[in-house]
Amino acid sequence: MRGPSLAVKGGILLAVVFAALKFVLPLFTAPLPMSLIWLYLFLATIGIVVYGTLSAESTEALLGPVFRFLSGEGIGGMAKSARLAVLALVPLLVGWQTYSGLVPSSQPPAENRTIHPAPPGEFVGLSNPVPNTPENVMQGRGFYSAFCSPCHGAKFNGNGAASDGFNPPPANFSDPGTIAMLQESYLFWRIKKGGVGLSVEGHPWKSAMPRWEVELSDDMIWKIIMAEYAGAGQKPRTWE
Amino acid sequence: MRIVPLRNRAGALLAVAAGLLWVAPALSQETVVVRAKLIPGEVPTDPMAPVWNTIPPTEFPMSPQVHWQKRIGSVTVKSVKVRGVHNNKQIAFMLEYADPSQDPADAAALEFMVGDKKAHFAHGQPMGQVEGGPVNIWYWRNDAPGAVDMSAQGFGTLKKQAQQDVQAKGVWKDEKTKIKFKERKQSLRKDPKGELVKDSKTGDPIVDEETKVVEQEVSGVWRVVFTRALATTDKEDVQIQTGTFPNVAFAVWDGKKQDSGDLKETGSQKAISSWWYINAEPPPDYSIYLYGLMAVVLAAGVEFVIIRKVKKGQPA
Repeated sequence: MRGPSLAVKGGILLAVVFAALKFVLPLFTAPLPMSLIWLYLFLATIGIVVYGTLSAESTEALLGPVFRFLSGEGIGGMAKSARLAVLALVPLLVGWQTYSGLVPSSQPPAENRTIHPAPPGEFVGLSNPVPNTPENVMQGRGFYSAFCSPCHGAKFNGNGAASDGFNPPPANFSDPGTIAMLQESYLFWRIKKGGVGLSVEGHPWKSAMPRWEVELSDDMIWKIIMAEYAGAGQKPRTWE
Repeated sequence: MRIVPLRNRAGALLAVAAGLLWVAPALSQETVVVRAKLIPGEVPTDPMAPVWNTIPPTEFPMSPQVHWQKRIGSVTVKSVKVRGVHNNKQIAFMLEYADPSQDPADAAALEFMVGDKKAHFAHGQPMGQVEGGPVNIWYWRNDAPGAVDMSAQGFGTLKKQAQQDVQAKGVWKDEKTKIKFKERKQSLRKDPKGELVKDSKTGDPIVDEETKVVEQEVSGVWRVVFTRALATTDKEDVQIQTGTFPNVAFAVWDGKKQDSGDLKETGSQKAISSWWYINAEPPPDYSIYLYGLMAVVLAAGVEFVIIRKVKKGQPA
């Protein structure tokens, strides 16, 4: 039994590439812009054409069905109606694409905020000078309750009573994707310099995190950091 | 009862899913953008004008101001509903929010970034690694007529502009409205014997937290309308171009006088929002339909030529 022609296989391959880039990849990482997806499809198409035109047989296998479809040769019955529908659809799709490209966007500009941008050099590798004793952690919990819990929550989950209106929302420390993957020095920078201390990719203009260096001593900040890790049941990331 | 074949039901489900996928982005975007609808005639300056009832609102959650001193722990206004209209010359925004009492010091404000540089939402305060821009604030207070057009670039720099371009009018109605907000309840966990359960590592009592969305009926609604020209000659003003997405933030003060004589919310003690967007609907541009039609004709022509060429090239 003859298998599908090279043209059909090529079409299936393009569909698989598109589905993988458009729907599967975003499950693991940031979605790709459509322009990049089209570029990959274009490159895949070139690859299929190059492969399909290596010999006269493969060229016929690749282009034969396309030419027969275009000419309508040997196509009858339902397939004939389907061919006409496809031929009518192509100009309509081109028209729709043109219209879509020209119509004013109703979406606000995309915001690709980096959640954990690189800290300034002066904060890299700092170690907590405050001994991790139960007394210090207890003190840190007191400071946390007074200064941090209104937004980050008494349960360290970012669900404080003052959190509802903020975009981006306060960090959820119990989430393994937040402080568990950061060093204590990183938290020290974020607490000390606050939202306004972020680099441009961190969108500092939107962060409600106060610049706590104005109100808290370094000692208090280090104790708060210990309390956050203890309260959220997390451990700071260290260099193994 | 007629049983729908499985294939048809699956098809119907697929159609519904496709419909939802189509509609979902349109619904979700309305939580971040105030759409100012293009209307004929004058923009309404009256908060009770009938046209406002035809404009779908966008609702924004509000938080207590905790970013800088003096902070506040809780606020009266949990969210504001915002509507917008414009007529290509003037733009109007109507803020609607529940406030159980009408007080002289009740106030509301809109804040915009000015120019191309991003400004921090807290009065455009300086940022450590980013050169920020100024903000333009439109402020209304119940006991003062009109609005105040202000500028700021950092704390302590708030000033009234020399050129006042904004008008405002507020109306408080003693009508019932429903508000929704998150309610958090914390309780100490107890075992079946009624003893406190403690964390095995720290020995601290374990606190359970329950968060639920509560709907509450409130008597009293403020409707405040701000109006201004889309474009002004003042460099300190935000310039609003149709079709663009300038940033906007909101602030509300409950000026109720407490038993101590202090106002419940005043100065930096207020309800605030983050940066969101406004979008003044652009006037209709029918040329895009013409370009779309031209593309259809062109593509059909190219298709016709290709098919003809292929047919001519076919062996007899």
